[in-house]
Amino acid sequence: MRNIERLLLTAWLMAASAFAADAPKVKTEAVKATPVAADLDAGKKLYQRWCAQCHGDEGKGDGPAADFVYPRPRNFTLAIFKVRTTPSGQLPTDHDLFNIISKGLPGTSMPAWEKFISETDRWQLAHYVKTFDSLGLFKDEPAKEQVAIDAPPKLTDELIAKGKTLYKEKKCWQCHGPLGRGDGPSAQGMKDEWGFPIRPVNFTKSWRFRGGDRIEDIYRTFTTGFNGTPMPSFVDSIPSADDRWALAAFVKSLARPQKNAQVLKAALVDGEIAADPYAKQWEDAEFADFPLAGQIIQEPRWFKPVHDVITARALYNDKEIAILLEWDDGTNNKGEGKPADQVALQLPTQPIAGEKPYFILGDDKHPVDSWRWNARDGLVRVAAAGSAKQAPRDAGSLVAQVSYRDGQYRVILRRPLQGAAGEIGFEAGKFVPIAFQLWDGDNGEEGMKMSLSTWYSVLPLPATPLSAYLWPFGIGLLALGGEVWLLRRMRRKS
Amino acid sequence: MQRWTLHIAVALWLSVLFGLKLGVRPPMPASVLMIYMTLTTIGILVFVAANEERFQAFLAPLKAVFAGRAPKAAQIAVLAGIPLLAGWGAWLRTAPSLDAPFEPRVVHPEPPTSFSSHGKRIDAATLKNPLRAAQEKNPAELEKLTQQGKTIYYQNCFFCHGDALAGDGHFANAFSPIPANFRDVGTISMLQESFVYWRVATGGPGLPKGATPWLSAMPVWQNFLSEDEIWKAILYIYAGSGSTPRTWDEEGGHEKH
Ligand code: HEC
Ligand code: HEC
Ligand code: HEC
Repeated sequence: MRNIERLLLTAWLMAASAFAADAPKVKTEAVKATPVAADLDAGKKLYQRWCAQCHGDEGKGDGPAADFVYPRPRNFTLAIFKVRTTPSGQLPTDHDLFNIISKGLPGTSMPAWEKFISETDRWQLAHYVKTFDSLGLFKDEPAKEQVAIDAPPKLTDELIAKGKTLYKEKKCWQCHGPLGRGDGPSAQGMKDEWGFPIRPVNFTKSWRFRGGDRIEDIYRTFTTGFNGTPMPSFVDSIPSADDRWALAAFVKSLARPQKNAQVLKAALVDGEIAADPYAKQWEDAEFADFPLAGQIIQEPRWFKPVHDVITARALYNDKEIAILLEWDDGTNNKGEGKPADQVALQLPTQPIAGEKPYFILGDDKHPVDSWRWNARDGLVRVAAAGSAKQAPRDAGSLVAQVSYRDGQYRVILRRPLQGAAGEIGFEAGKFVPIAFQLWDGDNGEEGMKMSLSTWYSVLPLPATPLSAYLWPFGIGLLALGGEVWLLRRMRRKS
Repeated sequence: MQRWTLHIAVALWLSVLFGLKLGVRPPMPASVLMIYMTLTTIGILVFVAANEERFQAFLAPLKAVFAGRAPKAAQIAVLAGIPLLAGWGAWLRTAPSLDAPFEPRVVHPEPPTSFSSHGKRIDAATLKNPLRAAQEKNPAELEKLTQQGKTIYYQNCFFCHGDALAGDGHFANAFSPIPANFRDVGTISMLQESFVYWRVATGGPGLPKGATPWLSAMPVWQNFLSEDEIWKAILYIYAGSGSTPRTWDEEGGHEKH
């Protein structure tokens, strides 16, 4: 199975490079000269210092940290590179390597080295990375031309609409999903050239684009293709540069900025809180993003989580509070064969008097109340006093309402404002600590193998009292009165 | 120069305001900002008023506005600006606070006199890095141990503390407080190795109350690493970040770096 996939991929790559060699359908320009000459001894030292722990002493992508990150560090021996300005199937230019090393690959563990390594040294690293090429390709077929990228057109609604049509026509959605959430029908079970699992990028999370998320970057990515991945160059199927710009504009329009916050604000609503997570009331509610990390603090540690963020909204009325948790997941795992997808939010069981519970499921002295929704078991409520002491508890008046649609989960968890025994109460203007945990079943996550956050707060927004407006108004008026008095006095004098 | 006293004072005030508002992460609560701005205002006024000539130069443009000698635009700007500013200042006090409750945190708390690690009691005062002994006698051996520490670091710590030990690993931004930046002079380079050992062995949960142990994501490393491995990792975080531990000068009894 794996061999066939490999064969197909290789055949496809060869075809792609043959195409590129035969008929350059895309405007190219000569490769820029490399400003710094190679000093391989210096390069080797720098590489040993900063890169070998991931990419390995011999560039095989097998350094001591390689098993602890996803995606895996690159094996340089096949000389296959993703982020390039050169046509599909070709080697990167020295500038490409330099840029990648400088800017890093967002959404992976490969950092932007420009923060730590001088420019000259980064050039030495670019030279040194090429020495791992076991096929001698950098010597025999170095890049001679690169794709010319003109100034991007203005982002207009028409351009985006045209891009949307192309997105459908050219079947980008088959992998990237109809709304770009990486949930297309062909998204699952893909492997890259090195035999490792790979997922199509979620276009809404543009902060994770390996090649950068400026419109020029997106244009370049699918014009040159990512060598070694199922993400091909689209020069042949979309020969017009205008069309490719339109598509880039559409992809860019799907992105939303990350809006990290410390406080999840619950707005006060009149009447009922909608049970449908797509109701207008919820769409209009302010959202906040909470970054997540792999649970690498207690055994079993989990180094390769899928989820890096959870989005939350909250509303309350005179009776109850509802928290909507939202996250993208291309696979809806209900617990067949793989663990079921799951989400949890965690609250202290009583108001905080000085000490909070430990952020991972509380501790002996400070238990927590964990509200979970599991794709197999539905609503699950757990009382925990540390990860080793978790016991199911009666759901009480807690209710879950769930939707999975277009690669996105939305889970509403609601409860009366007043706390029953062993529950914290919610009150306008009072902060309640809250923490989040998220599991992706497709990635084998269950139990302590999860993504998690530290403590944040949820705040039912207090109504602003009239006096809060009257005071500033009065003081402003007073200042004005003082001015008028001064004005008169001074003008009379002069 | 004197002519511009008022303008410079206003510019200074505004730059302090925006510096504090935009330059400090995470954003400081409104009440703390208020305190700083009050101090800034007083400071500027005291400086201006200390010298009669300076004070007159400071007042001159204001007098011109009130006496109607200044250009129309300046008159309107000042006369409208003062009440608005006063109103805004009052709003900062009366608006309901939506900032997260401020939790002060002792970053480097007093270490305990003894703590338990790997099932033993350890006396913090006499604790020394046993591997450092190789430093003078056998630098090659020390280098070997440091390299082993590097491997430990990149299999256990870099996710949080970063590739280049700058506290910015790929998981760092999910944690608050953020992981320590070992390149910063305010972290390990001002600490003794015994303190660092205590922090690494007992992690976030080992911190005393004032250091908000319930928030720190720093793992309890005695659960994962042997004593030897912890000391090797410590060798590496110093070597890798280009810092040296703080030591006690044995004879003099005073500290040296
Ligand atoms: C923490 C681990 C880590 C370290 C340290 C690291 N890298 Fe990487 N690097 C990666 C990962 C992971 C990828 C592959 C990401 C992917 O395939 O999407 C990568 C990819 C690359 C690529 C290929 C980019 C492409 O377009 O295909 C280059 C070149 C590279 N790294 C150079 C370096 C250099 C030079 C250093 C040292 C200064 C370094 N890396 C240090 C993790 C690391
Ligand atoms: C066969 C499946 C497939 C199809 C069809 C496909 N892509 Fe992709 N695409 C991928 C995969 C897989 C990745 C992730 C590559 C990686 O992680 O290295 C990706 C990544 C991307 C990226 C992000 C690169 C980055 O910087 O991280 C962009 C932009 C992109 N694709 C655009 C498109 C567009 C536009 C189309 C349609 C013209 C398209 N893709 C069609 C599989 C596909
Ligand atoms: C899950 C993330 C995480 C991992 C993994 C981690 N740390 Fe930490 N570490 C932190 C955080 C967060 C802090 C700051 C809060 C605190 O002081 O507890 C910290 C603080 C420290 C400090 C205290 C520095 C000071 O100035 O007081 C030391 C020393 C330290 N870490 C060493 C290590 C070592 C060595 C490792 C690997 C064996 C490691 N850490 C792994 C998160 C982590």
